[in-house]
Amino acid sequence: MLARSATIFKWTLYTLAGLVWAVVQAAFLQRVTIWGVIPFLYPLIAALPATFEGPAAGTVYALACGVFCDLLLPSPIPCFYTLILPLVGLAAGLLSQSLIPAGYLCSAAAALPAYLLTGIFHCIVLWAQGHPAWGAAMSVTLRELCASLLWSLPMTWLFRRVYLRVHVDD
Amino acid sequence: MKDFLKNHGLWILFAGAVIAVALALLSYFSTNASPLVDLANTITSPFRAVCTSVSGWFTDKQNYYEDVTALKAENEALKKQIAEMEATVRQGEAASQENVFLRDLLDLRQQRRDLSDFETATVTERGVTNWTASLTLNKGTAHGVEIGDCVIDGNASLVGRISEVGYNWSTVLTVIDTDTSLGARVYRTKDIGIAGGDFALMGDGKLKLDSLPASCQLLEGDLVVTSGLGGYLPPDLVIGSVSELRADDSDTSNYAILTPAADLNGLTEVCIIKSFEIVS
Repeated sequence: MLARSATIFKWTLYTLAGLVWAVVQAAFLQRVTIWGVIPFLYPLIAALPATFEGPAAGTVYALACGVFCDLLLPSPIPCFYTLILPLVGLAAGLLSQSLIPAGYLCSAAAALPAYLLTGIFHCIVLWAQGHPAWGAAMSVTLRELCASLLWSLPMTWLFRRVYLRVHVDD
Repeated sequence: MKDFLKNHGLWILFAGAVIAVALALLSYFSTNASPLVDLANTITSPFRAVCTSVSGWFTDKQNYYEDVTALKAENEALKKQIAEMEATVRQGEAASQENVFLRDLLDLRQQRRDLSDFETATVTERGVTNWTASLTLNKGTAHGVEIGDCVIDGNASLVGRISEVGYNWSTVLTVIDTDTSLGARVYRTKDIGIAGGDFALMGDGKLKLDSLPASCQLLEGDLVVTSGLGGYLPPDLVIGSVSELRADDSDTSNYAILTPAADLNGLTEVCIIKSFEIVS
């Protein structure tokens, strides 16, 4: 059990690490197109800390990420990311807790539900708005996943550094 | 010494006079320098050459130093001049680009008296996610921009509508975004339909025109403009042109794929129409 100050310090570091990747997204990746899509890091920013911190804490962190995304990104409905990113965090936390220990492999595996959940939610919203485009939306989802997957390596490294900085004994 | 001069003084004087006369005669009849001058210069010539070489070396070094210093200063001045000229060229290019845009806008003002209140804006960001087709502009409520305002380029081609607005920024949903739906009119046939974004077409930068009357006979290349019905948008803004005709899933009606007239990927300057006269 971490002391309160250590917990605050840890989540501050996670937030700063997340901001670093948000800046990378805004300053660099937004100008890069791979397979017709821009690499989109926000689902990974929400999912990766959850693989280290577990489902409960990860879900809360992902919720904060969702609020941040909804404030800055255009979305088809209000609170789109606030609704879906906590699910992404929960899925990633459960994955690391029950199937694959947190690390590079777990991050790559957690990326799949992260992008699938986001993509499926987009599909549902489009369908609900009367613009069903399941095929095109799933194609974008898969291309987005592939274009962003490689970024899970440096992102995992940074989030892992934060985790080890506080959990020295692990 | 005194005795020597007493005994031989006259001879010495005589010999000196003879030598002087002889030298004078030699100098007079010779075409070269006088023997004494010749002798003196012959002896001093190597020393003079050495002195000249040494002073020449020093002069060379001095000149070299002065030249290098001057060249350095000149180089610095030229570099500065080039930088200034490059900045001027860049500024000129930007001004030229802006000038073209403003000229287009001026033409537009003269052609379209109904579009009364314009605000030019710069595109600061585009396409932040793969799920929306939006642009961020540098004008907001501080400049009188409101949600729903129409955004066009310099050629009166429709770019989109303002969907979100802040103090000094606004977001435009472009015509290809899935949330965009516009009253449209085929310019040639006057048929009315609805132009709107379709997610399957958004990646290709295109939009869909449907809800057309069954009798409508579209041709590829037909121009599609805003209908202006309902007063939400000014009429006759160019949306795009028909690039393809398709039958819908039920095969009972056709719809058209439109290529937007505005270059949505290359836009840097746009114009926000803040108000317009509704023409009945």
